[in-house]
Amino acid sequence: MGSAKKSSAARKARIEEMRRAEQARERRARILTIGAAVVVVGALVAGGVFLVRSQKDDSDSASNDKSAGRFVTGKDGVKKWEGTLARNHVTKSVSYPVTPPVGGDHHPVWMNCNGDVYTKEINNTNAVHSLEHGAVWVTYNSEAAEEDVDALAAKVRKTPYTLMSPVDGQKDPIMLSAWGHQRTVKGADDPAVDTFFAQFVQGQQTPEPGAACTGGLAE
Amino acid sequence: MKHFGVIAGAAALVLVGGGALGYAAVAGDEDGGSTPSAESADAGFARDMAVHHQQAVEMSYIVRDRTENEEVRRLAYDIAQTQANQRGMLLGWLDLWELPKVSADPPMTWMGMGGTADAGGDADGALMPGMATDAEMKRLGELNGKQAEIFYLQLMTDHHKGGVHMAQGCLSKCAVGVERRLARTMVEGQQSEIELMAGMLRDRGARAR
Repeated sequence: MGSAKKSSAARKARIEEMRRAEQARERRARILTIGAAVVVVGALVAGGVFLVRSQKDDSDSASNDKSAGRFVTGKDGVKKWEGTLARNHVTKSVSYPVTPPVGGDHHPVWMNCNGDVYTKEINNTNAVHSLEHGAVWVTYNSEAAEEDVDALAAKVRKTPYTLMSPVDGQKDPIMLSAWGHQRTVKGADDPAVDTFFAQFVQGQQTPEPGAACTGGLAE
Repeated sequence: MKHFGVIAGAAALVLVGGGALGYAAVAGDEDGGSTPSAESADAGFARDMAVHHQQAVEMSYIVRDRTENEEVRRLAYDIAQTQANQRGMLLGWLDLWELPKVSADPPMTWMGMGGTADAGGDADGALMPGMATDAEMKRLGELNGKQAEIFYLQLMTDHHKGGVHMAQGCLSKCAVGVERRLARTMVEGQQSEIELMAGMLRDRGARAR
């Protein structure tokens, strides 16, 4: 009887001990959860502030009759068109504010962009339509190194929703364009190439998601 | 014992609250982070627009067999490719949300427009505003050349008008960010194609119905 009472008291004490341990665990878990939430929220706020700030340093500004706006360079080196880009179908030539163009009125027929590599200049009005379908356009001028051009052509050929062509009038040797976005890269092995492809090939900027890169103009 | 229960309860509440906060912080981009219900506008739009798009794909395949005109054939190619792919996105979301592809309620109930398409009785396959009837689809398959082009452009103009209206419904009622983005591209893309088709109809001495 006495020993039973004693063991019952010991059991109570042990249960009490386990409860305390349980509560301590819950407190730690609670602190961890709240801590993690605070860190995540803080990181989001900091990221947002960074993004907003990175948009502020501007560069070339321009406009034409229907598209209006200017390029704003982000911290990641990608220029983003801030403003409007017209999307009418036209068969005449269009004067675009930037070279190569990143949007605006365009020809009714898109340039095929299913990993198509063009070795001659193409009409920018057709290429802009490809950008509208979510393609990334790789362009180069005569200053681009031949090995870079070859390596980029090989990359484009194995990447659906990209196209490549020479653009003599552009200011940098190698440039990448998507609807409303553009950047210069140093060469074919510049890691910014993969980053740009990952972000913009059928990316969120695409005005017509799901539209094709086949069935358009082949040359 | 009672004391412990209160503490445990409070601890659980804080844990749940903290967890929810953490979850919201991670998942809370523009969509609020929860899975839509079968009755939601998000699910309704995904279901109904998938059906609506399917007829546009079918209509486009038909006209490509009825004319050699490159301009119309290319427009039909563009519409078929785009809407088939968008249909895949819509159905894919329903799969991810583990929601049925059909509802016992009439189409567009989520827009407060349930039953409007067949208000006049037998809808003859035109389940939603803008959709062609089975008889119209059959007729398209029997016309040739310019007559097929004109009828296709007229049917597709009506189809796009209904599509734009439904996509606007999603824009005002849907909660999921990626879905709202797709709906916005539909409003803008189809609106501009309506204008394009108006020009193509004029070139053929015709106009929208």
